[in-house]
Amino acid sequence: MATKNHYAFVIDVARCIDCRACLVACSVENNVPMDHTRIWVYDQGLQGTWPDLSRAFVPYNCMHCDNPPCTEVCVSGATYKDATSGLVLVDQEACIGCGYCVAACPYGARYIDQSRGVVDKCTACVQRLEVGLQPACVATCVGKSRLFGDLNDPTSEASLALKNAMSVTRLDYEGNGMDADPNIFYLNLPDTSSIKASDTFGQVPQSTLPRPSQYTLSEAGWKKVAIPLVAVAMGATFLAQAIFFTKQLIEGEKDFED
Amino acid sequence: MSHKNIPLPERQRLRQKMIKKHNLANILTHWFNVASWLLLLSTGIAIISSPRLGITPIWWQEMFRNLFGSDANLIRFHYTIGFLWIFVILFNVLIGFRKYFVPFASHRMLLDKDDIDWMMIKPLQMLGFRKDKELPPQDAYNAGQKIYSYFVVLCTIGIMITGPVMVFKSLFPPIVKQIAQPIHFICVFVIVAWLFIHVYMGAIFPEEKEAFFSMFSGKVSAWYARAHHEKWYNQMLKEEMEWQDNVEKEVLESTHLEKTSGAD
Ligand code: SF4
Ligand code: SF4
Repeated sequence: MATKNHYAFVIDVARCIDCRACLVACSVENNVPMDHTRIWVYDQGLQGTWPDLSRAFVPYNCMHCDNPPCTEVCVSGATYKDATSGLVLVDQEACIGCGYCVAACPYGARYIDQSRGVVDKCTACVQRLEVGLQPACVATCVGKSRLFGDLNDPTSEASLALKNAMSVTRLDYEGNGMDADPNIFYLNLPDTSSIKASDTFGQVPQSTLPRPSQYTLSEAGWKKVAIPLVAVAMGATFLAQAIFFTKQLIEGEKDFED
Repeated sequence: MSHKNIPLPERQRLRQKMIKKHNLANILTHWFNVASWLLLLSTGIAIISSPRLGITPIWWQEMFRNLFGSDANLIRFHYTIGFLWIFVILFNVLIGFRKYFVPFASHRMLLDKDDIDWMMIKPLQMLGFRKDKELPPQDAYNAGQKIYSYFVVLCTIGIMITGPVMVFKSLFPPIVKQIAQPIHFICVFVIVAWLFIHVYMGAIFPEEKEAFFSMFSGKVSAWYARAHHEKWYNQMLKEEMEWQDNVEKEVLESTHLEKTSGAD
């Protein structure tokens, strides 16, 4: 989907020192509940054998995908890709917190805030963008690892960083009929095979990013049961009444009483 | 005896005589239900927007989203009308529980053997077969209407439970809300499926014309009652006759009293 702006994060992995100031800044800016975060820094741990050791910290959050698998499943239309900014947002007034989208997101970028019964995730701080500020995590990043900007504007910080980059990695997800095309561009990412998603703050990482989109329950409930059942029921009764009606039209209206 | 053998003057007299079938509360509830369903169905369909399911055409979704300004407003409207509907229906059932609902459920909804026979013959007859066969006599509601009412009651309960689950979203775990969505959908559209028949029979099918008008006036002709709901008609006749007997008895007694007191 071509949008007016094409906001994207450009994250230089070599510059991240795992201080997690961005997590704090985000939580403060967006009133994130204490037991969750909207963004994460994945600690890859020591890689390789001595003396060829490496270690990378990979910051990530919602990738504001070009073809987001999360919007595909939302039944209420609460999750949508904004037509101007291109950001993927959640209208929490419309969200019912069913979590279909949480299972569908290949990046584990969403969580359910059970106290409000809604889903929450990174919004790229739209409230700050509107007044010309950078997202809180970007503004606070001490090593300038996180950059953010409009890729449609060749002079934005993000565009320039991408232009001068040595290596760019996208953790793209293709599968289940989707090609997500995420909008976090990693610079200097050494090894993508071990980056894992942590579902909630403090939990052990569960699976390697990107993990497959899951449509299990929405498919089972809606596509396997509800829609076929309803189609058969409506088809049968409609056909029945159509037959009666045609018959009535052909035979004309008889006054049955006499 | 078939109603077809009744002499013409008697038929004409029966057609003039009107019997009450529905009370005012029933008629109002029915049309309130119709209005609520039209609003709820149109907005409800507009809410279902998942491209992966592809149920609702985009123009329909856009039309309602533009009409209400946003998703959230559309959903708020849907559940506000929904709660109004739940409240009025439950209120009417509870208010009339002893006086109306219990007799309704016990006399007008239970199926008996005649109903089952009717179910085997009537559909064939409507298609033009077995015209020679005599239809078993029917209660105030025929077997088709009775079966329809079971589906409606069950699905209505389903809708009334799953709807609020999705509105009071912080009270229920995600898994419940995930299951509530398709159940809500199934319950609604099972009723809608039957509605094709219900509306056709009520409003278009020539033999049931009186049933349609009775949803406004509350009355059907004695002729119609006799032809379509013989058991109910006989019951009414019996009650009427008993009532007449009672009146006559009372009149007799009072005149008798007067006579005896006059003799003193
Ligand atoms: S990262 Fe996940 S939540 Fe964000 S747009 Fe992509 S699929 Fe949706
Ligand atoms: S939980 Fe996700 S899929 Fe469910 S309504 Fe909210 S945004 Fe849509």
